Amino acid sequence: MVDSSTLNKKFQKELNAGIASLVLLSVLNKSKRPMYGYQIAKLLDDYSGESSFMKQGALYPVLHSLEGSGLLESKVEPSVSGPPRRYYEITSEGRETLGEWQSVWKQMKSFVDRAIKGA
Amino acid sequence: MIKSVEEYLDLLKAELHGSDAATIQDALADAEEHLRAALANIREAQPDIPEEEALNQVIEQYGSPSETASAYMEVERRTVPQLTRETPKNTSTLGSFFGVYTDARAWGSLLYMLIAFVTGVFYFTWAITGLSLSVSLSIFIFGLPFALLFLLSVQGLALLEGRIVEALLGVRMPRRPLFTAKGLKWLERLKLLVLDKHTWLSILYMIIQFVFGTVYFVVFVTILSFSISFIAIPFVQEIWREGVIMNNDIRYYMPTWSYPLLILGGVLLWTAFMNIARGLGQLHGRFAKSMLVTD
Repeated sequence: MVDSSTLNKKFQKELNAGIASLVLLSVLNKSKRPMYGYQIAKLLDDYSGESSFMKQGALYPVLHSLEGSGLLESKVEPSVSGPPRRYYEITSEGRETLGEWQSVWKQMKSFVDRAIKGA
Repeated sequence: MIKSVEEYLDLLKAELHGSDAATIQDALADAEEHLRAALANIREAQPDIPEEEALNQVIEQYGSPSETASAYMEVERRTVPQLTRETPKNTSTLGSFFGVYTDARAWGSLLYMLIAFVTGVFYFTWAITGLSLSVSLSIFIFGLPFALLFLLSVQGLALLEGRIVEALLGVRMPRRPLFTAKGLKWLERLKLLVLDKHTWLSILYMIIQFVFGTVYFVVFVTILSFSISFIAIPFVQEIWREGVIMNNDIRYYMPTWSYPLLILGGVLLWTAFMNIARGLGQLHGRFAKSMLVTD
């Protein structure tokens, strides 16, 4: 029997694969200004409270991939302290996609809830 | 226990060993940006916290080098570089020969061959001027800062060339510059740059690019002119009554039966060239990657 924390980790990772894209798009959609990685990670920390759902380092490759699909765009700007920062912003294509994803998520959520409850 | 950001970056690089060089460069840049921002933030809140403890708090949230590496490798498998969407495969040889017209990579390569002439001349001038001024000015005290500026400009140009190569040739190149350690005196930074093999390979690339750019341009223009001439011969002869070759007052004409062959020849020549250009573009992309990307 695999110990439960490994199983939990694996389950969490599989769940995160799709959810991270949805969460990142939503955060950048709400934000009025372009945000850089660390800002996004801090904001997500506030949302998740005590429990952490994913490592902050795992956000960046998802940001790159969303940018690659044209849902986000980014620009690098120098910062006062440390290396230059990459600022991300949602594109109009990203907004459209987010709308569709949100409705998928709603259906998914009610489906899972019903399956768990068994009603 | 990881003691410094540099150590974290080294471990991350080791974990990513074997993945795409451009992914590694992106991952290192992301990690450095994040870790430094987070460290600065902690230090602001708790000025007395020991450096190492602060770093480990940050890493705890960011993820260990192996966790971060696996996140990048996971996503990289799904990321497609610009302009390299799969074109529908034509099964017949003839189909794939003429299918080159619908292939964005072939057109990208052609455009690159034209641009390489301009950038090649510029890179060459920049590299030679910078190198000779850096060497000759080094007897003065201000020669060294000049050399540093030149070597930094080489890094910038290498990144720019990488962007052009990725956009036009579809070869994945770094999207972000590599950072050097922070808080270095400029003399130390100069020393690092001079000792870095990557700097010299980039300068070499800038010089060689002059030759490549010229050859690409000449071949491109020559083949284009030949193809258009072949296709145009029947029209020029029939409409304007001009000969193919005019020597003093003697005009040489192509016989009428050769018209279809001439047009066909022109079209075939250009199509063949587009196929070759696509292959050349891929080769050049690989060459650029081996010269410009640190591994």
